[in-house]
Amino acid sequence: MAQALAAAALGQGAFPEPVSGVTLYHYLFVSAALFALGVIGFVTRRNLIIMFLCTELMFQAAGLALIAFSRYHLHHTGSAFVIFVLTVAAAEAAMALALVVLLFRRRQTLDGTQWRQLRG
Amino acid sequence: MQSVLNPILLYAACALGGVGVLVALPGRRASPYAVGAVLGGAALGLVFIGLGVAWPDHLPNLHFYLFATIALGCSLRVITHQRPVYAALYFVLMILATSGLYLILSAEFLAFALVIVYAGAILITYLFVIMLATESPTQESAELLSDYDRQSRDPLGATLAGFVLLAGLTVLLAQGSAGLPSAASLATTGDDQKLALVPAQVERTLARARDAQGERLLQPGERLAIADDESRDALIAAGVLAPERWPGVRPQNPEGAPAYAISPAEGWLVIAGSDGGRRVLERAQWPADLSLPNTLGVGFALIDEHPGAIEIAGVILLMAMLGAVVLARKKVEMDEAVKAMAAAHERSGGPGVDVLGMEGPYVEPGVGQGGRPA
Repeated sequence: MAQALAAAALGQGAFPEPVSGVTLYHYLFVSAALFALGVIGFVTRRNLIIMFLCTELMFQAAGLALIAFSRYHLHHTGSAFVIFVLTVAAAEAAMALALVVLLFRRRQTLDGTQWRQLRG
Repeated sequence: MQSVLNPILLYAACALGGVGVLVALPGRRASPYAVGAVLGGAALGLVFIGLGVAWPDHLPNLHFYLFATIALGCSLRVITHQRPVYAALYFVLMILATSGLYLILSAEFLAFALVIVYAGAILITYLFVIMLATESPTQESAELLSDYDRQSRDPLGATLAGFVLLAGLTVLLAQGSAGLPSAASLATTGDDQKLALVPAQVERTLARARDAQGERLLQPGERLAIADDESRDALIAAGVLAPERWPGVRPQNPEGAPAYAISPAEGWLVIAGSDGGRRVLERAQWPADLSLPNTLGVGFALIDEHPGAIEIAGVILLMAMLGAVVLARKKVEMDEAVKAMAAAHERSGGPGVDVLGMEGPYVEPGVGQGGRPA
């Protein structure tokens, strides 16, 4: 029994293939919905931190679409590109959060509408 | 679909564990709301398990719907939850669900990179900033949420615009929908030509696999042969490989030495025995999982095809780090000074100018004392 289990773990360790039924379109739909939710959140929320969280949501949507296309075309370039998406997201988070801290120290609020009259 | 354990057994064990943890947690009173939620979850789980029993082949599909539902529901909570910390935690849950989708798409490396980078690093930074940049609760409003978290800005227009965008996208996407090719067809694509560069991987896969008679495809002591002239002459002289099936360009590894004798395009690989003999394994005999693993494929795509982009990504990260340090060290006037200035301005009867604007007094940070409070 234990041997059979071990053999199964070794031999069948391959990831189950997506069987037909879920298509590229399903993944693209999820990606588009995530992106739309991110856009809505970015526009409607007034908290600066949540606004940047919503941009991360949009990054995720793009990443999911890239991975789905990478799988569809059986080419790893899409996957490699997601690594650059992660890089940009990390850089953006670092810069944006430093800015948020700076703005908060200046005005003691995270309200995005307070910064309408940015000049120069 | 075969797996080590029956998936239904795993689901049942997880459900049992969840109930046990719920009971063990301190101070849980069974409110009707919680009981209803548990019952609803259990009903949903039963439906899911029933579907899994009915169509075990479609379990990956069911997982797609499960992960997609979790991801979309959590992202909805990210944009609707009033408390920023909870929004960030829902975002973590959304990341975990997305990495589940990545796993279904056989992008294992990025699924785990996503968990590490996003859930582990970026979201922790967000949580730090949320806790750093939150107004300290006063005596009378310890529990109150700030106004900008309770009120959204122009919800109707934004929702309309967002869903019109979604409708347009989905309608356009639906015109070119297509099924995903199976993972087995990875073996015939161009990426797979790189198999000759990972002989250890190929040998491991071959040693694990058995042929129809239950014999190992790669006996102990055998290795993948080198694609040199000696191999070619021996194979052609023995008549096991037609000369025209040998690639015109001799396969080479990046150092220019002869690569290993595996040609997915021609559909053969050569195994060298410990006694110097060679035999050919045709594609029909190859094990099904002999293809470039995801991690190796992503590595080749990164290092082989986009080496410059990696350098640029490194520079971007370095610049972002420097920029964050410079920005965060910048000394700004503190709350009291700004308030005093605003009060003085109001007393002097100035016009309704936004004196709290960007042109507040800015103190040049001295060397080595930038971070100190004023």
